[in-house]
Amino acid sequence: MPIGGFIINTLPQDCAATVTVLEQMAGVEIHATDPSGNIIAVIESHTSDSMEESVKEIEGLEQVLSVGAAYLHVEDEVEKIERGELVPPHPFKKNKNKRAEWA
Amino acid sequence: MSLTRRDFIKRSAAMTAASYVGINLPFAQRNAAQAADADHWVRGTCRLCGVGCRLELGVRNGRPVALRGVPKARTNYGYLCMKGMLFYKIMQHPERLKVPLYRARKDQPFKEISWDEALDIAAKEFANAVRKYGNDSTAYYGSGQCLTEETYLFQKVMRGGLKTNNVDGNPRLCMASAVGGYLTSLGADEPIGGYANIERSYCMFIIGSNMAEAHPVFFRRVMRHKLDNPDTVKIINADPRISETSRIADMHMQFRPGTDLALMNAMAYVIIDENLYDQKFIDDYAVFRVGKDAKQVDLASYKADLDKYSPEKAAKLCGGNITAEDIRTAARWFATSQGTLSMWCMGINQRKQGVWANNLIHNLHILTGQLCKPGADSLSLTGQPNACGGVREGGGLCHILPGHRVVANEEQRNQCEDAWGIPHGRIPPKPGYHTMAMFEAVNAKKVRAIWINCTSPAQSLPNVTPYRNGMQSDDVFLVCSDIFPTKTTECANLILPTAFHFEKTGVYGCTERRSQITPKAVDAPGEAMPEVWIVREWALRLAKELNDPVIKQCVAPFMDKEPDYELPKAIWDEYTQKLTKGRDNDLRGATYEVLESMDDGVQWPAPTKEFALTGGTVMKFVRGSDPMAETEAKDDKPYQFYGPAHADRKLWIWSRPYVGAGEEPDADYPLYLSTGRIVDHWHTTTMTGRIPELLRANPYSYVEINPKDAARMGVRPNDMIEIETRRGKVEMPAKVMEGPMEGMLFAYWHDMHEDRMINKVVNDAYDPGSKEPEFKICACRARRISGPKALKPYITQLNE
Repeated sequence: MPIGGFIINTLPQDCAATVTVLEQMAGVEIHATDPSGNIIAVIESHTSDSMEESVKEIEGLEQVLSVGAAYLHVEDEVEKIERGELVPPHPFKKNKNKRAEWA
Repeated sequence: MSLTRRDFIKRSAAMTAASYVGINLPFAQRNAAQAADADHWVRGTCRLCGVGCRLELGVRNGRPVALRGVPKARTNYGYLCMKGMLFYKIMQHPERLKVPLYRARKDQPFKEISWDEALDIAAKEFANAVRKYGNDSTAYYGSGQCLTEETYLFQKVMRGGLKTNNVDGNPRLCMASAVGGYLTSLGADEPIGGYANIERSYCMFIIGSNMAEAHPVFFRRVMRHKLDNPDTVKIINADPRISETSRIADMHMQFRPGTDLALMNAMAYVIIDENLYDQKFIDDYAVFRVGKDAKQVDLASYKADLDKYSPEKAAKLCGGNITAEDIRTAARWFATSQGTLSMWCMGINQRKQGVWANNLIHNLHILTGQLCKPGADSLSLTGQPNACGGVREGGGLCHILPGHRVVANEEQRNQCEDAWGIPHGRIPPKPGYHTMAMFEAVNAKKVRAIWINCTSPAQSLPNVTPYRNGMQSDDVFLVCSDIFPTKTTECANLILPTAFHFEKTGVYGCTERRSQITPKAVDAPGEAMPEVWIVREWALRLAKELNDPVIKQCVAPFMDKEPDYELPKAIWDEYTQKLTKGRDNDLRGATYEVLESMDDGVQWPAPTKEFALTGGTVMKFVRGSDPMAETEAKDDKPYQFYGPAHADRKLWIWSRPYVGAGEEPDADYPLYLSTGRIVDHWHTTTMTGRIPELLRANPYSYVEINPKDAARMGVRPNDMIEIETRRGKVEMPAKVMEGPMEGMLFAYWHDMHEDRMINKVVNDAYDPGSKEPEFKICACRARRISGPKALKPYITQLNE
């Protein structure tokens, strides 16, 4: 279950409203804000897939200017990959010469 | 993981982030050893783009468990982007190449073999090629993602050992025009300044770059500076396409692809016409030149050449949204700001007139004296993490030698031969094959043995189909050293598994001349080995096969050195202490010891350790900042342009005409086709395509179509579009958006699926000076072929 630390930036006047939205997102904890529009957030997720989804969702918010990653902890996931319990999924084309129809 | 440990880590995450912006959090961190998030942290550089972000890899029980930025690093100040954060997955990835693989013929499946067998085969095949077809039938094609030690050692063995200058690399496809521009305009490669100029600038001119997606952490600094100074900092974004970067621009200039040459000449016109140029700077430091012979001319002549580029004439030529008034405004902002910083990337470099486009940017800076003072700089953004350090500085192109020397200069060849302890005459006097010529030579059966390291030309070359066919022939023995199967390993006889970043030790030199070290932190999987070991072992066997002791001499200083640290260190020491001594990229102060002690790294020139420890040269050529500006000074002036390419020690303002693209739209192919990257993917997706988060966001290529064109073609979002050029066809789903201008398609280039591999159709015409291909512009036609289709992403697999 990965844990990430982020700095989310908004314009100062949009900060409070953005925090309200962020606090309603699953797995997102807001730890601090400051007058410049910096928001310190910790995102906890089931997989790094879903963390990436959350970051993308936050980046897509109208008032969010940028999301900067500062820290990411992934030990649980690395252990699972090593034990073979989690294989980072990626589909392969078995026959490269076959022309794609339903690719 | 226990709840208390989990809480501990969440607090670590929060505190790390808070520390970047100076926020104090209300909880104190417990020091309980059992709650540690990692055993130890290893500081290194990100593997991906040319920004050179510094980060720390947290290691626990020998495996990577966490990543965090380095807050004091002067490249990224701690910030990372999601691509950089996720590369830990590549280390453990089940598809990593782990053992050497071989097949005698390319229609056979690969078999696992031992390293001994593999290295013997590689040596025998190269030796056979030399004996049968000559030294120039061998070649090395490397990468801007190789460590400097790797590139340096490979080119040493090729030139001094195999006696061929057939050494080139994928920076030929991206940075060669920037190199040509720097050398012909400023007399020396690489930027005068660096990132520190962002926060000191008052005007930023961003052209041919979508840094918001291609260099996100760099863009963060630009964005931050603009937002902190909304009224005093002006940003001009010049791009035929509206991109993510355009959002922070005060002015977006949208011009027909290829007409940026006219646009910049028009800005120069305004600067001269309205007396906005810096006469004193020009008198002290510059000359005007024109033509193949670089004939010196005067301001009056230069001005006369600009007549056809009055703002009115240029606006007409450029089309798009360009008005004469906008050109005037942009020129005035540029000239009169207290510090103007230009930044550019592939839109300028990947052109048939790439060197000229670079010259025209430098012209604007030289004319207005926007150089050498805080905030003023012409800063070419490097795409790859080590195109500068390894390839441009370490001798990784066919016409250059380490330490910014050139093959064509006999004295400089001899300097290298002396440093290597080999006889004069070993390094051939003429440059070898540049990239496009190298793969043409494979097709023509002139190159019979080629080593491809850490790059995938079977996908990344322009007009890729004929070159891929050539690589697939059994007439060429192809060795690929890499971490994953790629479209190029599909063409190989021999595949060698290599250690990845943080699995080996070495140095990367980023965009701003800063060399930074990444030590080994975890073991490579299976039998994967660092490239420096592979080259050494191969060279020893080559020496035996060819009965040539000089080849052995090339690796003699590196015998009996263990491959994880001592071996790369010995190579770096030889390169920096012997080959950069006294050169403009003097790195003698940047020993491993110095680099390891720093949060970031060293900007050359840095001849001494004391100076290196401060971070090195912030502004080249400026007395007080650059120690070589003192030692090379010829007079009292504050700036000394001592670069190796201009004997007159002047900056050259080039009169260059507007020349269009190699292939312009016509009646049969009426649209412009341009291509580029998006934020989630790196190059050919060998790495990023295997990371599900990144793949999911953009699982395949799209083509962006302007809404007006879409309406005309009857295209709706996600419809399948066929794009056809004179070289072939591909099909992709459409994104209808105000991105590209009307009459232009913009396709993402990362997809390796046959149907969507856009490089099959782009033009391989190249700049006559830099030999860099014109990926960015060609002519196409397009039609809707169907409604949306369910597509799946495609990543190549071994033995398909």
